[in-house]
Amino acid sequence: MHLLSKSYELADLAESQEFYHSRGWTDGLPIVPPTPEAVTACLEWVLMAPEHLIGVEPVRERPITAEKLAINAVMAGCLPMHFPAVVAAWTALLQPQFLLHGATASTGGCAIFVVLNGPVRKEIGAQSEFDVLGNSDRSTSVIGRAIRLGLINILNVSPGAIDRSTLGHPGKISYCLAEDEEGTAWSSLAKERGIPDQVSAVTVLAAGAPRQIMNEWTTVPEEILDTYAAEMRGNMLNYSIWAGNYALVIPKQHRDHLEAAGWSKADVAEYIHLKARVLRADWRNVGKAAVVREKGEQEYTALPTAQDLLVIAAGGPAGGFGAVIPPWLGTKSRAVSVAIGVCVDC
Amino acid sequence: MIYRVLDPTSEESGKVTGLARRLITLRGTKVGLISNGKEGTNDFFAIVERLLYERFSVAEVISRVKANYSAPAAASIIDEVRNWNAVITGIGD
Repeated sequence: MHLLSKSYELADLAESQEFYHSRGWTDGLPIVPPTPEAVTACLEWVLMAPEHLIGVEPVRERPITAEKLAINAVMAGCLPMHFPAVVAAWTALLQPQFLLHGATASTGGCAIFVVLNGPVRKEIGAQSEFDVLGNSDRSTSVIGRAIRLGLINILNVSPGAIDRSTLGHPGKISYCLAEDEEGTAWSSLAKERGIPDQVSAVTVLAAGAPRQIMNEWTTVPEEILDTYAAEMRGNMLNYSIWAGNYALVIPKQHRDHLEAAGWSKADVAEYIHLKARVLRADWRNVGKAAVVREKGEQEYTALPTAQDLLVIAAGGPAGGFGAVIPPWLGTKSRAVSVAIGVCVDC
Repeated sequence: MIYRVLDPTSEESGKVTGLARRLITLRGTKVGLISNGKEGTNDFFAIVERLLYERFSVAEVISRVKANYSAPAAASIIDEVRNWNAVITGIGD
């Protein structure tokens, strides 16, 4: 396989680390040197030529090729088996409705949240339980990191360059989880979003940091979900009031109560859509009275529709915890789901 | 052991574009203002428009607002720019 990228000869592993760090080609952590052999192995795994065009970033018109993604994936620690998920995630990021440039350049500081579904989770050993939002395993860690390194190196989305985040958040290092499909009777996120059963898929969301909630004092579905909705209202008032794709990560303890009561993901979404609402006047309570103006009675919903909620079954088996993952900025960027390794609509 | 490693960057310099020809004067010109639509642009561009008329004697100021402040301006706005002598745009955070 004839690779097209410029190559460098370096003396040893230590020199290769300093070489990449000194050029701003890392996230600050050590990288795996992207040798031609390792990059070729990734490309052969997905049966793609080096120049295969994954897509074009629409604002800056930068082509994204398979070879460049593979180089960054290897640097992130990916093995060839991880690469199909990276390719699918990038395919999703390059869809116009994701608005990649806006999401990655914004002062808002979001990160790319990636959810894995389908058989690929088991094939690569992705974990869906303990520490699921804390880089629980090798596969989710390196897939999430491959996204970030690709942004830094291919699109110059590094701090102070294209990335103008005021704060950012730790998910920028890696923000990927696998849904616990075996631990729930609910249908998978991918299936809810139109991906056929048993097809592996990724869903990407331009997302803020997870906001953790706790309610261990009820088994009533409405009460459990009221806590999630309250956190969403908090995000609407304290961060952004605009409706968009929120994600809820619901671990097993809460899921067991919801499922025992016969609640589906759609039921959860309908209830959250009803309860996650604020009045513009509520801004007065959080120091934003200046922008209430004469529109105090105007109601805002967290979700444009109930279908815009991403309900994800994941997390450790014990603990009445859960997480709300807010969108970067309303509907400016939409969540995108893409099948891995197959085309389901062509 | 010698490591041969690959360049992870795009290795493209991007599209090369030159600066637009500078105007000798703003007097009598048609100047466009493209707001990104953020709250902060309202007062700012109102002042810029007033200054353009009062201090620089422009003939006309045309104001346009992007539909999405995180996305490029609509093609219809870009088409209009061709008929302007100058355009002022920027971030209104």
